[in-house]
Amino acid sequence: MSDDARETGCDAYRDDLAELALGVLTGRARAQALSHVESCPRCADDLEQLSRVADTVVQVAPEVEPPMGFEMRLFERMGVADPRRRPRRIRPSHWVPAAVAAAAAALALGLGLTLTSSPAPTAIAPVHHGQVISADFVENGAAVGRVAAGGGTRPWLSMMLADSTARGTVNCIVVTADGVTHHVGTFVAQKGYGAWIAPLHVDPTDIRTAEVVSPSGTVIATASLG
Amino acid sequence: MPPVHLVVRQLRVVEGELSDEALLAGMAVGERAAAVSFVRRYQRRVFGLAHSMTGDAGVAEDVAQEAMIRVWRHAPVFDPRRGSVASWVLTITRNLAIDALRLRRAVPTDPDDFAASALRSDEHNPEDAAHRGDARQTVRAALAVLPEEQRRAVVLAAVYGRTALEISEAEGIPLGTAKTRIRTALIRLRAAVEPSEGVGDER
Repeated sequence: MSDDARETGCDAYRDDLAELALGVLTGRARAQALSHVESCPRCADDLEQLSRVADTVVQVAPEVEPPMGFEMRLFERMGVADPRRRPRRIRPSHWVPAAVAAAAAALALGLGLTLTSSPAPTAIAPVHHGQVISADFVENGAAVGRVAAGGGTRPWLSMMLADSTARGTVNCIVVTADGVTHHVGTFVAQKGYGAWIAPLHVDPTDIRTAEVVSPSGTVIATASLG
Repeated sequence: MPPVHLVVRQLRVVEGELSDEALLAGMAVGERAAAVSFVRRYQRRVFGLAHSMTGDAGVAEDVAQEAMIRVWRHAPVFDPRRGSVASWVLTITRNLAIDALRLRRAVPTDPDDFAASALRSDEHNPEDAAHRGDARQTVRAALAVLPEEQRRAVVLAAVYGRTALEISEAEGIPLGTAKTRIRTALIRLRAAVEPSEGVGDER
């Protein structure tokens, strides 16, 4: 312990920091340690490092295959019963709250997407913040779905169609600011409905439009992100 | 760039290519494919932790199911600034396992057994784990070389949520000794995970 640390009273908290990081410090000792950390950048940094390690200890448990049927029982409870057995079409009324949930998710992901109410079928203006963009898919002037793209080290694109005229295999493309068209992937729309998520190989903030395109090249729905 | 073929009816996601955060975001918007992939990615770890802590497959299933349900329900409020998805998911699991043990007044797995099972762990794809910068293997290795009493202390605190006082009583040692064991063990683990921090901080 350096003289500098003693001068700032850090010595008194050296045990407490470890217990604080492990989440097992309680009562007055916890309050005092937290108060010290708030005013001491050195101990705050120490606590952050120790917390990362403490979190990892919980993660070292071995992976164990759950009992047979675990997954099925869980999907039943979640309402996402094995999709290969029980495909379920989400009615149009479901995707609007889902879009709001997407905004909430992005917000919660620390990416700061602003929550916007969704007065369907009017299209919602694109929302930009941080590394997330999202906008409505518009078809014939009506909102028929939602697209969202997130940044980070592994960008992703998520989209949902509802009551679109899209049928069968369609392509998702994005056009970036430099005018280049990028094919993101191909998916199947069932009677106008499709929910899809895929890796993205362009910077989400460079995207200007996202389009759902038929195999013959007809643009079915467009989302303006730029 | 090769096209990514994902069929909605089959709801297949290119598992392994999407980050945990992306799958969580997908779950939050009701994407079944994301929920399915997330569950399949995490169920062995969640069940494994619950089983390691409780030593009972039935209790572990209850805990693991409830943990996954909570993750699914609370996906929209996950905050990455407070830690990784894995840490969040497994902390939820740990807390539920602790509650289950208390509720049933059950005897938790001995910390030595927990550590031993962790050290024997044979991950499905350690190479992939290493590629992702997974610190678990490093921490396992560091746990293995800790003095037994320190390993017990840090496992009791980190996994079972035991306070220093509880550890001192359970181990029959002075409170100060319990605190020292916890602190020293954690600092040694940190030195292993983050070598730049060095062991010089060990006091």
